[in-house]
Parts: sequence; C-alpha cells; structure tokens
Amino acid sequence: MFDWSVITQNVDLILKGLAITLYYTVVTTVLGLVIGLIVALAQLAKIGVIHWSGRIFVEFFRNVPLLVWLLWSYYALPIFLDLNITKQLAGILALSLYGAAYYAEILRAGIQSLDKGQSDAARALGMSTGQAMHRIILPQAFRRMIPPLAGQTIIQMKNTTLLSVITVPDLLYQAGYISSFTYRPMEVYTAVGVVFLVILIPSNYLARKLETHNS
Amino acid sequence: MNMTSKKEGQSLVSVRGLSKSFGAHQVLRNIDLDVHEGEVVALLGSSGSGKTTLLRCINLLEMPDYGEIEIAGNPIFKCSGEGQTRSSISQKQVNALRSRVGMVFQHFNLFPHMSVLGNVMEGPRTVLKEKPAENRERALDYLAKVGMSDFAERRPDRLSGGQKQRVSIARALNMRPKVMLFDEPTSALDPELVGEVLETMMTLAKEGMTMIVVTHELGFALEVADRVVFLNEGCVEADGPPGDVLLHPENERVQSFVNRFHATAELMRPLLQES
Repeated sequence: MFDWSVITQNVDLILKGLAITLYYTVVTTVLGLVIGLIVALAQLAKIGVIHWSGRIFVEFFRNVPLLVWLLWSYYALPIFLDLNITKQLAGILALSLYGAAYYAEILRAGIQSLDKGQSDAARALGMSTGQAMHRIILPQAFRRMIPPLAGQTIIQMKNTTLLSVITVPDLLYQAGYISSFTYRPMEVYTAVGVVFLVILIPSNYLARKLETHNS
Repeated sequence: MNMTSKKEGQSLVSVRGLSKSFGAHQVLRNIDLDVHEGEVVALLGSSGSGKTTLLRCINLLEMPDYGEIEIAGNPIFKCSGEGQTRSSISQKQVNALRSRVGMVFQHFNLFPHMSVLGNVMEGPRTVLKEKPAENRERALDYLAKVGMSDFAERRPDRLSGGQKQRVSIARALNMRPKVMLFDEPTSALDPELVGEVLETMMTLAKEGMTMIVVTHELGFALEVADRVVFLNEGCVEADGPPGDVLLHPENERVQSFVNRFHATAELMRPLLQES
C-alpha cells in the first residue's frame, strides 16, 4: 500500500524544505525574543504611553489568527505601505511579531514573578533600573522562563508551516509539490509529519527536563 | 525638637513634616526626625504604625507625598504641601544617594544566583565600577567581620536565616555607607538565630556607625540604641533615651505597647518555672 520510493527519490527536496523550515524557525525565534523583550519591558514601564503601547501590541497579535495576519502581511501590507514586500520578508515579519507577542507575555510574567525584595535590594545598593535588570532581575527571571520559552519555540516551529500558504518553499510546501507530480500524498504527508515528530518529541522532552531541573 | 541624644554631632538624616499615603490610608503624618552622626535610633511601634514606610522613605524606596528629607546636608526631597510642586533630585542623584545609605531587609533579599562573596561584591562592582581586586579583599574583610568568611563560596540558599542576614549586612557595609537602615532585621528569624544578628549589629553600633533600626526587639532598643522613637498611626508619639521612653513611659500608647511585652513575659513565667 505504501510506496516509500517517492520519499527516497525526492529526499533532496524534503531536506531543502526542512532547511528552510529550520531557517525560519531560528530567525523568527531570535527576532521574536528580541522584540518580545522590548515589548515586555514596555509593558512594565510606569509611563502610560509606553505601557499601553506594549499592552496593545500583545493584545493585537494574540487576537488575530496567525494565518490572517500572515496573508495580510503579504497581500495587504504592500498596498498599504505602497512598497514591494517579498514573501520571505512578509513571512519573517509576520511570524516574528506574532511570536514576539507570546514571548513578551512569558518574559513579562517571568520578571513579575520575581520577589519585589530583589529589585528593592538592587535599588538600595544604588543600581539604576537598567543595572538592576541586567545584573539581578533578568538572570533570575530567565532561568524560570526557559521551559515556557522552549515550549513557545516549539509552537513557533510548527507555525512556520503556514508559510507554505504564501509559497515560501518550506517542508510542507515541498510536500505539496512532491505529491503534485508523484500523486502519492499519503506517503509524502506522512513523511512530513514524521519529520516534525522526530525533531519535536526530543525537544519537548528536553524542555520538560529543564522544567523539572529548575523547580 | 528636644535634643536628647547621648551623642551629639552633625545631623546626618533630617526629616521634616513628612507625610505619605497609600490611597486613602495615611501612613505617615507630619513626621519630624533627626538622626545625628554616630547615633543609633530604634524605631518602635505596633505593626501598621508606619515605621517601615518611614525607613523606606529615607532612601526613597518609597516616594513621600510631602515634607522634606536631607541627608548629610543635601536636600533629597522637598514638597511643601498637597498640590505643590515637588522638587526631588534626579534619578541619577537618587541612585548615588542610595549607594551611601545601606539597607538591611527583613527577608534578607540576597541575590540567589550569586555566591555569598558575589553578593557582597555586587554593589561596588556594578554601581561604583570598582576593580575586583580591592573589592574582593574588602568584601572578605567584611565577611570576616560578620563571621561568614568560611561561607564565601556558598550559595545563599544553603545558609540559615541568621547567616543570610549577616551576609546582607556585609553586602550593605561593602558600599561603605554613611548610615545603615535596618528594616526588622530579626523578625523573620528563628528565635535561636536572633542573637547572632543582634551581636553583629551591636559591634557596628560600637564602632560608631549611624543606624536607624526598625525593630520589635525591646532588649536591643534598651541596650544598644541611643534613642527610641515610638510611632503610632503615623505620628511620633515619643522620642527620647530608651530608658525614659520604655521603662518610664509617660505616653499612654507607649505604655500599652510596653505592657503587652510584660504581659507576654507574665504568661511565660509559669511555663518557665515548670521546666
């Protein structure tokens, strides 16, 4: 019933797709974390405008479906800004900002979960807000945040499959392409599912290990 | 204000007409307080009397509503009344001020991701950008002073409460502060660990450190403090030598406060006699 030769014959395309999936996962995770940290700090700011712009960012991206936002970035944003935006750029923009909203929530909660005594002690020594964040708050908060950040990054990797909709040649896109000329969608999509399982089950296991290690 | 302190000198901390509210609840009402160089002042009062808030206002960890605060002659906060413009110093100056005012907290607040030595070195390292060599040597001296030399490489979570508090005193001292603020330093300790912390504080007091101590330890107030300031509902009810304030209280509030300690002692007496 299964004819796995379609996979072995097209293994180069699958590997190419996997490389692109991993590339977008890494790039959008890094950008998402950087933007997420800025948004988290904005939410913690005492100045109303900064605080609210952080809140609105998070609420916006958490309440628009990723697929809608991705398609909007690719099809509507160029018209809106009267610019040419490549699908690669649209994909990175959409996934990074979307991820940033979730990373921001994890980072904010992690920072706020720290005992207020820690920032009291840092301030009492004469540290500026930036010094206290860098030396006292973030190193401790980060340790607690590793498990949820790992979990969100796994979701981020799965979300990259949506890029196939705007024809970024990721793993899922390659699968569609291979099945379009081999007429073997069953083998091809099974293989894609297996690739994700092989990568993400150990990652999830590791994330859970970190969680128990830290608690 | 009547000058009742044993040691007279330049006024190091001066508080005038200080008021502070949290929402509708007024915690401090028009407080005046002068602390002179080398003086040890015990701040007493029942919980909710505003003593911790007063202490936290002195290094601006809590922003007062109005009044004046001066440290070593430098005005750090001034606001003449409700709705008046507030002149407080810049954030940079606040940080510089705090670096010269040591603070010891009820719950120690040691940095758990650093070793004991790292904790003591952290202030000079980050705030004063001091070179590690001198900083390290002095930090070790202060650890020796509080009797914690053998624990320099330990993590704070492996210490007892009394040890943690002694490290936190060394951490504050390593900034070479002009004045030390203690916020109920023994309240979170098991009774048998209180002594070692009080002993460290007594050593400091003897060396002439200016100290403001929020405490429930009446014994410490009687033995070590030069002056007792008793707060009640955000007002200074009594201010004077510990013997006068605590042993011969004229004030009704102070009397009932002290009596509660006597009452506890009375309750304990039969139990002590049994054993």
